[in-house]
Amino acid sequence: MKVSLFTTCLGELFYVDVLKDTTEVLERLGCEVDVPEGQICCGQPSYNSGYKKESIGPAKHMIETFENADYIVSPSGSCTSMFREYPKIFADEPEWAERAKRIAEKTYEFTSFIVNVLGVEDVGAEFHARVTLHTSCHMTRLLGERDSHYRLLSHVKGLELVKLPNNYDCCGFGGTFSVKMTPISEQMVDEKIRHIEETKAEVLVGADASCLMNIGGRMRRLGKPVKVMHIAQILNSHQEEEAAHHANESRKSTVL
Amino acid sequence: MPMKVGNLPFFEGVDKAISNTYMVNAVSSAQDGLREKKLKATVGDETLGDWEEWRRAGEEIRQFTLNHLDYYLKQLSDNFAARGGHVYFAQTVEEAQNYVRKIVRSKNAKNIVKSKSMVTEEISLNEALEAEGCDVLETDLAEFILQVDKDRPSHIVVPSVHKDRRKVREAFQKLGYSGSDEPKELAAFARKTLREKFLHADVGITGCNFAVADTGSICLVTNEGNANMVTSYPETQITVMGMERLVPSWKELDVLVTLLCRSSVGQRLTTYVTDITPADQTDTVDGPKDFHLVIVDAGRSRALGTEFQPALQCIRCAACLNVCPVYRHIGGHAYGSIYPGPIGAVLSPILGGYKEYGKLPYASSLCAACTEACPVRIPLHELLIKHRQKYVAGAGHPQTGEKIAMKAFGIGAKSPFLFKAGMKMAPIFLKPLVHDGSISKGPGPMKPWTHGRDLPAPSKENFREWFKKHQAEAGNPPTTVNADGSRSEAK
Amino acid sequence: MSNGTIENRDQFLETIAQKLGHAAGEAVTTPEWKHQPQWAVYENKTPEQLVEIIKKASESIHTQVVETNSADLAESLNHLIDSYGGGAILATSDKRFSEWGLSDVLEARHVAIWDTLKGHENIDLAAHANIGLSICDVMLAESATAGLFNDKDKARSVSLLPVTSIVLVPKSTIVPRLTQAMALVQKQVDADESPAPYINFISGPSNSADIEMRLVVGVHGPVKVAYLIINDR
Repeated sequence: MKVSLFTTCLGELFYVDVLKDTTEVLERLGCEVDVPEGQICCGQPSYNSGYKKESIGPAKHMIETFENADYIVSPSGSCTSMFREYPKIFADEPEWAERAKRIAEKTYEFTSFIVNVLGVEDVGAEFHARVTLHTSCHMTRLLGERDSHYRLLSHVKGLELVKLPNNYDCCGFGGTFSVKMTPISEQMVDEKIRHIEETKAEVLVGADASCLMNIGGRMRRLGKPVKVMHIAQILNSHQEEEAAHHANESRKSTVL
Repeated sequence: MPMKVGNLPFFEGVDKAISNTYMVNAVSSAQDGLREKKLKATVGDETLGDWEEWRRAGEEIRQFTLNHLDYYLKQLSDNFAARGGHVYFAQTVEEAQNYVRKIVRSKNAKNIVKSKSMVTEEISLNEALEAEGCDVLETDLAEFILQVDKDRPSHIVVPSVHKDRRKVREAFQKLGYSGSDEPKELAAFARKTLREKFLHADVGITGCNFAVADTGSICLVTNEGNANMVTSYPETQITVMGMERLVPSWKELDVLVTLLCRSSVGQRLTTYVTDITPADQTDTVDGPKDFHLVIVDAGRSRALGTEFQPALQCIRCAACLNVCPVYRHIGGHAYGSIYPGPIGAVLSPILGGYKEYGKLPYASSLCAACTEACPVRIPLHELLIKHRQKYVAGAGHPQTGEKIAMKAFGIGAKSPFLFKAGMKMAPIFLKPLVHDGSISKGPGPMKPWTHGRDLPAPSKENFREWFKKHQAEAGNPPTTVNADGSRSEAK
Repeated sequence: MSNGTIENRDQFLETIAQKLGHAAGEAVTTPEWKHQPQWAVYENKTPEQLVEIIKKASESIHTQVVETNSADLAESLNHLIDSYGGGAILATSDKRFSEWGLSDVLEARHVAIWDTLKGHENIDLAAHANIGLSICDVMLAESATAGLFNDKDKARSVSLLPVTSIVLVPKSTIVPRLTQAMALVQKQVDADESPAPYINFISGPSNSADIEMRLVVGVHGPVKVAYLIINDR
């Protein structure tokens, strides 16, 4: 199966390790991965801020770049949902709307792709830790993907998954919301962190780098000891139990 | 100014709200309770079948009714008048106030009792009548508490959600209450105080949950029974309705009352669902002799025929407030509008303009919890984005820096060359700011982020370079998909 | 009552029609809706099953349900009145009380009957009564709701002002939910009858959770509600 990786701008800027893990997991599951050269950003930052005109160019560029892919897979629910929204954005340009629709139909979020397209729930990963999961908003509400990440994590050897209280509440990222409405955003992330601490988890996992950057950035500022990881990093882990607590040298030391 | 709550600029209101720990705790615990009750009574109630089907039913009815609003309003008014009632169409807030004032004056009425109504809050009816020398009494327990305490609603369905029992007790002490702060005892005091007033009021004023066009009937939904009191003992009944709050017939009323009761308070039905049809009540002891219906536009028609029309589908259940993480942390007053929360952020700029309420659409992380919760499928978070589009296109005043940044983004995000260059430069440029793997104090646009959060350092490794190497190691020629669909060796 | 009036309508509707892009008041027919999930709720339940649903739903709305049959109705009502402390009692003016052979009970207990000729005195009676007796017109199983088609004789005050509201519920009036009750009203309307001027769907005693979301039962309306279901078929 041929998969074109939609890396996301945040991924390329901050989370190269996540992209590597995503690539390796997909390859291990038998996918032939490529990285379309022309890709940039889906345009969500400007679109959600009301700058529609400024978002049209980037969106068209992405459509052209990915138009001939078989499957488009992205390690971000939010960026995937933007591809899925494209047909609505081009409501006034029927030809582009049609092209956008074809893109939307073949775009999948990473975990959703593994479970729903590849039909795999056990990727053979092993990770020994008490973990809680942040289910991001665009993943659950805009993509309607509510359980692929749970299914995948439930098959990871050694992983103890604890439910995050109020997991449905937004972490406070919201793109430019986090910098335009900083005081409110900070209250939101603080409550999220209180709930994470209630779980006594050692690791917070998520499938959206943006949320993790927000929660992780706040936890780091507050000196919280909880480690933050992208689900691709967990699914690409094969550590033995003894090694679990000495993994600082590995790729997993990325600050999320 | 009608609709306006408080007089603080938005961000000052937010700061004030955030520092009010009690309020935040009260709102978030109320939210948790209401959310859970709603879920149990909707998606969680298997006797209903598929809740999504109910939402689609609500949406379908609301959309069709709005698309033919003039027809159904004509029908409603014809039927209300044919049964002896008086209908007044008020284009503006002032027209609505003036009409009610005129009626009250003509009846020489002094004592007015009111049941809870958002539209009368919106048009500042109490103030207008008090200026006439009338004694206007709110009879919903929460509204009564707020009135005694000279406070304003902070929620559409539970207006005093921001107050605790001690505050209620203090308020009631002004009326001579000397009991404890037990809700039961406080409510009993309100029952006793209000009952006398109900039985001797001259005019009863109600809002309108739904009007039925087919018969000219008014449906009121409450738990306390106060609307029944208000519509049973005064000689004159005045009902004020937002012009969009109607259904074609009783058949549709069923669906919408179901959606409202279940989504607002998680009940199968509220304790009272009361349908009032004007009639000759000469021989009726406990019912008004005179019916007035005031149908209010007050800016609503601005949304018709535009991308904002779905906002008028709203049935004021407040389910969106009950799941909104922003409302959770700032409460209702910070919005500065009688309509807070997601629906408030959508409606307020339509009804009150961008100058006053243009910041509200930005008070959302676009998490879409509101859209998911809405029983009539209003795409609330999408409407917030559409407001932002209006705002930056001239309805409001976005910051110049932001405009420039977005323009630059628009150009940069379609140039692979600039993007790749940027990805290579970022680690170099930002290196001086990086300490111990992250940035804790950033300049310019990074400043608000790093106010409370660290920013990760840009990855030193370039993903695309890694990927090429990775493919070569695996013995695969590094390929890429070109714009024309062909695959070729990556450069 | 004066004749009805309509003021200020034309311009108002014109504004709306213009925005919607059609001629003002353009006639439409309400369509057959694509989505109608309401009819499937409790479809095909037997009357007995519906009674069980009422009993279950009554638990969460603090309402007592007692079952009886036509023969034992008088005795059951007497018991029920006793269990709520008797005292001053008021009943609606409803011929069904006598049709069901309850005249003796009402007389023996000095039950006042709503009488429009007595004017405001009725309201004073109701306000000071311990118990109000009403008869249900349509009973909704789903929410344990008594639908009362109030009018000048079947007065609304009887189920509103006394401390306790006892509602007699003929089993034949039980329907699955609001849907069937609204269809009943719509049928009257379609036959050119006026709906009752005051249709009251009441589910248990009045209540409020306005103070700290704590439920208080008994606010402006009755504090206690009981349904006496009569097996009349």
